Amino acid sequence: MDFTDKVVLVTGASRGIGAAIAKAFAAEGASVAVNYLQSSDAAETVVAACRQAGGDASAFQADVTDSEAVPVLVNNVLETFGKIDILVNNAFRPYVFDPENRKMFWELDWSHYQTQIDGALLSTHGLCKAVLPDMRRRAQGAIVNIATDLVARPTIPYHDYTTAKAALIGFSRNLAVETGPLGIRVNCVAPGLVYPTEGSRDTKESVKDMISAQTPLGRIATPDDITGPVLFLASPWSGFMTGQTLYVDGGLVMS
Amino acid sequence: MTERAGYLPGLTDDEVDWQILRFGGADAPLEVAVPVLTDAQMQAMAERVRVASRDHLKTLTISQIIDIIDRAVARLLDRKDPYRRKAEEILPIVTGYDAEMIRLGLTGYLKTFRKPELQKFTVEDFANPLILDDFQPMPKGGFARAFGPDILTHIWAGNVPGIPVWSLVSGLLVKAGNIGKVPSAEPLFAGWFAQVLSEVAPEIADCFAVVWWKGGDTAREEALLKESDVVLAYGGNGSLSAIRDRVPVTTRYLAYGHKVSFGAISRAALDTQKAADTAHQAAYDVVRYDQQGCYSPHVFFVERNGRISPQDFAQYLAHELETFEKKYPRRALSIGEARDMATWRHGEEIKSFASKNRGLIGNADSAWSVAFVDDTEDLSPSGLNRTIKIVAVDALADIVPRIAPYKALLQTVGIAAPPAELYALSTALGIAGVTRISAIGHMTAPEAGWHHDGRFNLLDLVSITEIERSAEAAADTLAPYAD
Repeated sequence: MDFTDKVVLVTGASRGIGAAIAKAFAAEGASVAVNYLQSSDAAETVVAACRQAGGDASAFQADVTDSEAVPVLVNNVLETFGKIDILVNNAFRPYVFDPENRKMFWELDWSHYQTQIDGALLSTHGLCKAVLPDMRRRAQGAIVNIATDLVARPTIPYHDYTTAKAALIGFSRNLAVETGPLGIRVNCVAPGLVYPTEGSRDTKESVKDMISAQTPLGRIATPDDITGPVLFLASPWSGFMTGQTLYVDGGLVMS
Repeated sequence: MTERAGYLPGLTDDEVDWQILRFGGADAPLEVAVPVLTDAQMQAMAERVRVASRDHLKTLTISQIIDIIDRAVARLLDRKDPYRRKAEEILPIVTGYDAEMIRLGLTGYLKTFRKPELQKFTVEDFANPLILDDFQPMPKGGFARAFGPDILTHIWAGNVPGIPVWSLVSGLLVKAGNIGKVPSAEPLFAGWFAQVLSEVAPEIADCFAVVWWKGGDTAREEALLKESDVVLAYGGNGSLSAIRDRVPVTTRYLAYGHKVSFGAISRAALDTQKAADTAHQAAYDVVRYDQQGCYSPHVFFVERNGRISPQDFAQYLAHELETFEKKYPRRALSIGEARDMATWRHGEEIKSFASKNRGLIGNADSAWSVAFVDDTEDLSPSGLNRTIKIVAVDALADIVPRIAPYKALLQTVGIAAPPAELYALSTALGIAGVTRISAIGHMTAPEAGWHHDGRFNLLDLVSITEIERSAEAAADTLAPYAD
C-alpha cells in the first residue's frame, strides 16, 4: 500500500508498538508525526529510522492526556506537514503487565481506573476532536485506535487497563457512526500480548508460553505483527470498514 | 460494432448517405452511422410525413394515440425487449454515463409516459382533451377544436438519454407529423423510440421521422425548416438565435435554451437526524447526468443557524458525492469539460485563499468538488460534472436578490423547507423567474405533465379553430328543419 503524500500522526511512537507503526507507515512513503512524552532521543531514533525507510518524519513532544497540549500538538503537525490524513491513537498510561504481581480487584480503587481511562480515552478524545476539523475540511480521514484483545478475553484480569480499553472500543464505534457521513472512518486494532515492549518487559516466560500454547498460530505477537492491520485500516483497502475491531493475537480471540 | 441512427420512412438504407460518428474508448469502440439526406430526400420525407399524419394520425382519437404510446413505452420498459437491451448496452458507451445510472434513469423517465401519466399530461393543457378529436362546446359559447401542425420539427440537443421522447410524445398527442433532428452527442434513442412506435402501430409508421445533420449545416436545416409549421428547438442561446433567423416568419418557433437551477435548504432540514439524508438527496441531484440537465443544480443555498451549519452540510455533501462516485462513477470528461471544471476549481481555490469565509473540498483528482461560501454570494454557474457550491444565507428569502441577474435563465429550484416557507418562497421565486419547484433529490426527474420552462407543452403546439356562436346560430336558420 502506497502512503506517499499521506500524513500520519502516531501517538506514543518513540518505542514499542507505536515506533513500529511509525516506521511501517514511513516504509510505505508516508510523512509521519512521531509523538512522544519523554524519550526525545528514542523519538529522534524513530524519526531517523522513518527517513531511512523512505518516508518523512518529525518528532513532536506532547502529553496527550493534557487537554491544552493536544491542540498545540495537532497545530504543530499541521504547520509542519499541512494536513493529517491518518491518526493512530497508540499512547497509553504506563502499565506493567505482570500477571503474578497484578493488583486484584479489591486492591484497586477508582483512581487506578481513572488513570487508565485518562490514558486511553481522554487522550483519544482530545486527539480526535483536534484532528477532525482538518479531516472534515477534506471529507476524508482514517482514525485507528489501539485497544487490546483482553477486552474480549481477559486472560489476566488487568481490571483498570482493560476496562479503559473497552471504553475506547465503545468510544470508537460511536465516533464511527458520527463521522461516517463525513467520510471519516474509525476502527480499532486489538493486539494480544506483544513482546518485547516496555510494558511486557517483565512478563514471565511461563506466561508467554502459556499464551503461546493457547494461540492457534503458536506464539505471541511482536510489534511488527501489529503494523499490518493498522496500515490496512488506515488505507483505502479498508475503505468500506468502520467501527470495527481487528484482533491481532494469532487467533487467541475469535469473534 | 456499428449502430444505425435515425428513422427514415420511405427510404431504404441503400438510398441514403451515411456518416460515421465514433464513440467509446479502445475497449468498447462503437460506430454510429447517421443519415445524411439530400434536400430532395428531406423534402420528400416531409411530404410523406405530412400526408401520413393527415391520413392516419389525425384520424385517431386521443385515447387511441395514448394507447399506442403506452404500448411503445411498455416495450421500452421491458428489460427483455431488444430495443431496451440495446439502449442499456449502447447508451453508456455513447454518453459515457454510468450504465446503472442510465438503466435506472431510463425506467424512471419512461414510467412518466405510461397511459395514466399521458392522460394527466393531456388534461394538464386541455381541460377537455376531446378538443383534440372534435369541436367541443366552449364556456363563452360556440365550439372549438385544437389542430396539431402538419409538420412539427424538433431540433434536439445534449446527451441526456431519452430527452427527445418528451417532445416527440407531445407532438404525437396533438396529432402532429413529427420530424426530429438528433444531436451528435446522443443520436440513437429517438430513432429507437420511433422504430418501436412503428412496430406497435404500423398504421402510423410514416407519421414521424428521425434525421440528422451536422451542426452548422444550415442548408440541410433550412430545407426542413421551410417545410415546418412549428419548430421546437433546444440548445444554447447562440444556436437558438441562429435557428430563429432561419425559421420563416410565419412558422411558430418555440425555443428551449440553457437554464440554471439551484437548491434551497431550510434549517428545518438540517438537524442531526435529517442533515445526512438531505445531503444524500442533494448529492443525487448533482450526480444525475453529471449536471448536464437544465434542471441540474449549480448552487445550494443553505440556511445558517441550524443544528448542522452550512459548512458542515458542505462536508456531508462532499462525502455523499464521494459515495456516489462508487455507485455511479462520473463519465470520462472531454478535454474541454475537464478544462472548464479545472478553471472553476482554480477560481474557487484562489478565492478561498483570500477569504476565511470560503473553502473548497475535494482534491484536483477527485471526481467531485464542493465549494463553500459563508458570505454574500450570487447564484453562478458551476464548473459542471459534479462541481457544486454551498452558499450560506441567514434566511431562504435572502436568496431572491442573489438570483435576480439570472432571471431569464432560471428554471428548477429544489427546496427542502416546511410548508409555510415552501409556499412563501415559491411565490418570491416565481416572481423572480423560476418555473419549477421540486423536492431536493427530485430536481432531475420532472413529473409527467410539467410545464417545461413554464410553457404549455401541448397548447403551444396547436392552433385552435373556433366556431363562433353567430355561425352556429346562422347555420340554424339555414337548416332544413328551420320553421
